[in-house]
Amino acid sequence: MKYLIVGATSGLGRELAYTFAEKKNNLVLAARDDRDLQAIKSDLSLKFRVEIKTISIDFSDIEEINNKILYDKEVHKNLNGVLFPIGFMVDKDNLLLDLKTIQNIIFANYASTNYLISKFFELFKNQEFTIVGFGSVSGLLGRNVNINYAAAKRALESFFESLAFQNKKKNFLIQFYTLGYLDTNLSFGKKLNLPKGNVKKISEIVYKNRNRKFLKRFYPFYWRIVSLLIKVIPFNLILSIKNLISKN
Amino acid sequence: MNINGLEKTKTFSFDRSHSAKVLFKRPDKFREIEDLSKHNRTLINTGSNLSYSPLGFYKDSISVKLKKFNRIIDFNLKKKEITVESGITLSQLLNFTLLYDLWIPQLPGYPFITIGGAIASDAHGKSCALHGTIKNSIKEMTIFHIKNGWLSLSEKENKEIYNLTIGGIGLTGTIVNVTLKLEEFKNKNFITYKTKVNSVNECISEITKKSKEKDSFVYSWNMAENLKSLGKGFVFQNKINDDNVENFKFIPEEKKNKFLPFLPIWNKLTLKTANWIFYYLNNSSNHFQEDDFTSVIFPFYGKEAYFKFFGKKGFYESQLLISENTIEDFFDEFKFIYKKFNPTISLFSVKNMRGTQEFLRFEGNKICVTFDFINNKKNILFMSELDKICVKLKIIPSIIKDSRLSKKIVEQCYPEYSRFRDLINNYDKKRIYKSEISQRLEI
Ligand SMILES: Cc1cc2nc3c(=O)[nH]c(=O)nc-3n(C[C@H](O)[C@H](O)[C@H](O)COP(=O)(O)OP(=O)(O)OC[C@H]3O[C@@H](n4cnc5c(N)ncnc54)[C@H](O)[C@@H]3O)c2cc1C
Repeated sequence: MKYLIVGATSGLGRELAYTFAEKKNNLVLAARDDRDLQAIKSDLSLKFRVEIKTISIDFSDIEEINNKILYDKEVHKNLNGVLFPIGFMVDKDNLLLDLKTIQNIIFANYASTNYLISKFFELFKNQEFTIVGFGSVSGLLGRNVNINYAAAKRALESFFESLAFQNKKKNFLIQFYTLGYLDTNLSFGKKLNLPKGNVKKISEIVYKNRNRKFLKRFYPFYWRIVSLLIKVIPFNLILSIKNLISKN
Repeated sequence: MNINGLEKTKTFSFDRSHSAKVLFKRPDKFREIEDLSKHNRTLINTGSNLSYSPLGFYKDSISVKLKKFNRIIDFNLKKKEITVESGITLSQLLNFTLLYDLWIPQLPGYPFITIGGAIASDAHGKSCALHGTIKNSIKEMTIFHIKNGWLSLSEKENKEIYNLTIGGIGLTGTIVNVTLKLEEFKNKNFITYKTKVNSVNECISEITKKSKEKDSFVYSWNMAENLKSLGKGFVFQNKINDDNVENFKFIPEEKKNKFLPFLPIWNKLTLKTANWIFYYLNNSSNHFQEDDFTSVIFPFYGKEAYFKFFGKKGFYESQLLISENTIEDFFDEFKFIYKKFNPTISLFSVKNMRGTQEFLRFEGNKICVTFDFINNKKNILFMSELDKICVKLKIIPSIIKDSRLSKKIVEQCYPEYSRFRDLINNYDKKRIYKSEISQRLEI
């Protein structure tokens, strides 16, 4: 089997690469910095004797996505699925952001995934093909920081739900995980109220579920309860509580 | 506390004599290593922070932890060479190379030590009489220095910095990857022979004799609870067991006894009891036994309780390189101050060492003597007297192991101290890389 992992050099992407390689899957790893890619490639191929292809790519650049992923037949050959553990954040992602940066955030976190999947829907329509997306609990509710990132992640979730509707008669295997903080570099040093999720564990879960027709899950699981609460409590009430807390 | 991916944690030296609230950075991408300059602070590298001395942290520096840089970059079976990232631990390295019957023989005694940490401390293993220090296994390295950028180091390229980096206690920049020369190592099981000795002199002559034998690792365990039994103990000799061709068991990559609390159990009485039990058990058992790889090469693995039993105050270790000509004088003087201070020594061990001393490296064709002490006033006074003996007899005390050593003592014992300091200052003019020890030693 062969999988494409987009955003494969750090955090969850890196762990997924190790989990899938350990189970003897060949991989296409896409990320920005070729040095990081080469280091993972050599490590995985030496330890697990699997074939690794790397693509150094800027995921906010449509030309690169076309040329390096869509038009490269080597990437698609025998491909069985694609995973998008990709997250692009910038400092000061607030209301005052310029349009170009907003576009970059939306493109990297939402539109590029959407675009690639729609093309893969065409390319792999005659075979079973796994598509795994990753949202973020930051998309559960509006917020003060990373606001465009959160909006893009919420859009992505909606997109994956639509994908499930479209997939009724097709062979795609679609899974979507909404992730809370994981014990990756992104949360390193952050003191959080809730415990961090284990990145190794979620990778194993993703691997185990890769053949499920449709799956939508929270990880760590307690975010499901938080999400339910957010859905049932009227937004006005949430807003009042939030204002009260910040006043104190 | 989070400041741009930094974590503030209270950190201790392995002997627990020093602690500080330290900011850690744990890069997992090359770009993050290069971006360290953004923080505008001094830095120091840290591996697994298993050094007895506070070498990998300083209250005002960011400790750069390369835990995520632990990958195998290249492996050439024919040439017997491997390139690894410096955050790889000894167990992770060996679990790969031993599958191909290859290893590096200079392995310090704990599996979670990183290659970066071992190189920066020029570590040695049990076989140091045969194989010297890890310096002998290094072919080339790549380091990153905030001001000097990426540098390739080897005997042929940037030789001076290469030499400063090995045993350079992390002051020349971050070792990112290293190419190691591997040696063949077919059979991974050992037979351990033991010989009873009744005095320090007998122990040293036995060790000197046995260390000359091929492919054997020789060291001793001696008692030091009082002057009468000083040196009484056993000389152990690990030899490769050619009759046992069983595959090696993977070396643990996770700590055992992780949650064992610090209990102040060691004192004169408990140590005396434990030592005599150990002595009698060894005395009454066979003079040889079969041992596996982990228990021979990483003797402290699974025995972490020994360190925890010093309690939260911890302990001190003194490791000394003494020339054959002065060893008798050393023990004469040692006995003299022993009489005066009656120290509580929990470990006394001897082995032979091979190499050439340079800079601050703990190396030389000498006898390596180790003592562990409970951390108390009397013992600290005793160790100060030991320092004086070191200066007098030109003995080299280990900076890596003895966290107490002052600049004055190091300057007098290490003939190349000033040369090392001046070269480091010339190379890193702004002195960006600083640890608790480099500050104390005024490097
Ligand atoms: C139980 C035990 C047994 C031991 N046995 C032995 C032994 O038999 N022989 C022996 O010689 N030593 C021995 N040691 C000591 C040990 O080998 C050294 O202290 C070693 O440096 C610890 O490695 P570390 O990965 O924990 O590094 P740290 O303690 O974190 O760092 C040690 C030094 O290395 C530097 N450093 C770490 N990583 C890098 C890097 N990537 N780039 C540049 N500099 C770096 C740090 O700045 C610091 O100066 C033992 C230690 C323990 C705890």
